[in-house]
Amino acid sequence: MPSIVRDMPETSSYWAAIWTLGTLPDVHVICDAPIGCFNLAATAVPDYTDAIPHIENITPSVIRETEVNTTGTGPAVKRVFQDLRDEGLLDNKHLIVVSTAESEMIGSDLTDLVTQLQPGARFFHSESLTEDEWTGRDRILAWLWDNYGAENAARMAVEPGVVNIIGPTYGCFNSASDLHEVCRLIEGAGGRVNMVFPFEARLSEIAELACAQVNVVLYKEFGQTLAESLGRPWIHAPIGMRDTTAFVRQLGHWLGTTEEAEAFIQHEKQTTLQAVWDLWRGPQGDWFASLSVGIVATGTYVDGLSAYLGEELGLSIAFTVSRPRRSAEIETEALRALLHARPPNLVYGSMNEKIYLSEGGARQASFIPAAFPGPIVRRSVGTPFMGYRGAVYLIQDIVNRLYEALYNVLPLDSAYAPSGVPIPAPSVGAKRGNLPWTSEAKAILDEALENLPYLARISASRELQMRVEAVAQQRGFSEVTPEVASQVLVSQGK
Amino acid sequence: MTSDIMSTAQPEGRSCQLHPQSMCPAFGALRVLARIEGSHPVLASDTGCLYGLTFVTHFYGARKSILAAHLGTDELMGGEVIESTRAAIEEAAKEPGCALVPVISLCVAETGGLAEEMLPQRAGNADVVLVRVPAYAIHSHPETKDVALSALLRRLSHTESVRRDRTLALLGEVFPADPLAIDGLLRRMGVEETVTLPGRSLDDLQRAASFAALAPLHPFYSDTVAFFREWDIPVVGGAPVGISGTYAWLQSIGSLLQLDPVVVTQVAEEERERSQAVVNAQPLSARILVTGYEGNELAYARMLVEAGAEVPYVSTSIGADPLVLPDETWLRSRGTQEIVYRKSLEDDIAALDKYSPDLVLGTTPFCAAAKERGIPAMYFTNQLSARPFFLSGGMAATLAFIQQTLDGKPRYEWMQAFFTEATDA
Repeated sequence: MPSIVRDMPETSSYWAAIWTLGTLPDVHVICDAPIGCFNLAATAVPDYTDAIPHIENITPSVIRETEVNTTGTGPAVKRVFQDLRDEGLLDNKHLIVVSTAESEMIGSDLTDLVTQLQPGARFFHSESLTEDEWTGRDRILAWLWDNYGAENAARMAVEPGVVNIIGPTYGCFNSASDLHEVCRLIEGAGGRVNMVFPFEARLSEIAELACAQVNVVLYKEFGQTLAESLGRPWIHAPIGMRDTTAFVRQLGHWLGTTEEAEAFIQHEKQTTLQAVWDLWRGPQGDWFASLSVGIVATGTYVDGLSAYLGEELGLSIAFTVSRPRRSAEIETEALRALLHARPPNLVYGSMNEKIYLSEGGARQASFIPAAFPGPIVRRSVGTPFMGYRGAVYLIQDIVNRLYEALYNVLPLDSAYAPSGVPIPAPSVGAKRGNLPWTSEAKAILDEALENLPYLARISASRELQMRVEAVAQQRGFSEVTPEVASQVLVSQGK
Repeated sequence: MTSDIMSTAQPEGRSCQLHPQSMCPAFGALRVLARIEGSHPVLASDTGCLYGLTFVTHFYGARKSILAAHLGTDELMGGEVIESTRAAIEEAAKEPGCALVPVISLCVAETGGLAEEMLPQRAGNADVVLVRVPAYAIHSHPETKDVALSALLRRLSHTESVRRDRTLALLGEVFPADPLAIDGLLRRMGVEETVTLPGRSLDDLQRAASFAALAPLHPFYSDTVAFFREWDIPVVGGAPVGISGTYAWLQSIGSLLQLDPVVVTQVAEEERERSQAVVNAQPLSARILVTGYEGNELAYARMLVEAGAEVPYVSTSIGADPLVLPDETWLRSRGTQEIVYRKSLEDDIAALDKYSPDLVLGTTPFCAAAKERGIPAMYFTNQLSARPFFLSGGMAATLAFIQQTLDGKPRYEWMQAFFTEATDA
């Protein structure tokens, strides 16, 4: 079976490995990579996904033709190791060498070589030719525990009320805000955050993961294997009001802080969540049921947004596609065709979906960043999708986009809009006023409107009607014919 | 340790080369190929490579969907590289208006082997052109622009074209306003048509062999230049950069294209006066390190030196090449002490220690290092490519930007002090 992919939406386990290891300040990575796999994963992309100048604790072996054709990568890795050591860059660091697709392609397994470089140095075979970023993250988190934590775990005493968070790594969309909110929820439920692994941890402290009474796994895509290894109760981070309430209650139950948890939920309803209650009671809430939503994001976000926006608020979920894709979901070709033909009001997605909307000329659909790939800064902690604050942020963002859409459909006198297509003036002597439409012509107009998202239809119906009539009048017709209607409407953007 | 790994000694005075600096080399080719109207590239590579290259193409290249033959263990070991690539080509050819399908063969496909004769020459209405850019064999992204362009010319240009007098092909990806300015000036000298390669038009590639001369604006198009020489098309040396460089360049074009020498001299002198006026109006007095990885760093250094700056150190990702030599000689004779090709981050950091510059034009890791010392720094790729550069107009725009950045020094110092305090506390 030929294997074709359009706009690769998720990366490999090599990237997952270095995006995990790079967050640990007491690790230094040698990636067994050509210059490109080093630059893209350690600088060019994290510049724009994580808003960092580069990942500093990673050095490439720089695979060149010699390594591919003659020597293999062992000598290059040794050279880099010696230079790093001589420059003092390995002082107090755990050295981990990671394979890449290209090193795997030439069969470079450096397990034995790396263990001889310095005590404790290890080789991580990233399986980059086979595994995706989700499997990759899950596997390296578990590998770190097995190799650096498990043997000391027995010496750690479980502390009551203490909770770990597993995830994020680099390259996790919106992680700063979601992490911040989940920490707040844990504290609200009566817990205390112990380790955020790997993002705010040191590898030398990994055994302390065993101190926690409960683990929160931030994403459904990875971290579960580590959580299982830790042998304590664990739970996924929540999205939406219902899921968040259940999350806080469950934590309270496990930690023995039920009263605190219930008090927190009550207090949140009266404070943070008041905005949702107010918007629900106000005119904004009346729009929700008329809005269609498409979601392309991690399974964590797809499930959370579908539950919150769909079930709790009543928006209509037009389609969802998860990363990694679930077998029942449409493939990229179908997704692209759908966004070209009939985009919903709101499209949560990545740069790829944004491009498909541009290709289809979808001026009326609102694109909301919700996934990588794509350049975006999300370092402020004020844009969570998770938790109670996430419930407020998500709906606030939707309402503001509605306002924006409404603004854009208000008529603007065409004399002020040089970039718009002016409605042609009727020719002299032409019939004025509303023209009658043949029923076929009216059907063409209805079909054109049907393909537009709600809201856009309101003003589009008037504008499209005027455009068609203007052309008909210009040609001196006494009624709108199907020919004129289709001719004008076919050129309209969505 | 065994002796086979002891070749760590660096050339004298040069530090360890731990972190070579270039975008993924393949990106240069992909960018050029994605920007051509009617071109729908097909990549052949593994998951991580496709993700990264698609990402940067959607950032820097084009709003264009990118198809690929996805090569994992199953495809590579099961001999399905060709089958997948062919299927992706068929799919790409169905895109509206598709006239070109460049097939970009990357590291794992090249290592596994992608036989050109197994690919179609045509698909639908499109020409299929194979471009081989393994990052392990080509060491910088500017150089793959040359690989891509020469592959297109080899295949698409009508070599039997009639040579047209007083026409000129400009060579290099430049700021969009630059070719307009150059064209305007050349027409006043009597040139009848210019074209810029690589550009957005396939037609320009097809007509490439009909131009009377070639003027490389960037020094890393050695294969492309060789093509034009094979076609007996003369190549203009230098580039319209700075005061003396522009004057000499205009005169060379005048003589190559046999334009009226009186008119040429008049236009060249007027332009020289304008450039001189730009420098007189805003002379630079600063020490600047020019350390990008775009391959045109020496030309920028040259302009800055002419404007009065001290540029003790220039580094670039490309290798030494005869096309760069004139700029190198010019710079060395005017005080530039080090010019480093195929540079690494360590080379640049050593220069930062050694020269204490007032301004750095560099890569993102290096600019971050300069800013950590409170030194104004700009990412060469994003900031300089986004401004006119050539002729007096480009000089004015670039020098104004440099001066503005230098004037921002107190802000860089305040930031550095603020965040250092925060770290120490």
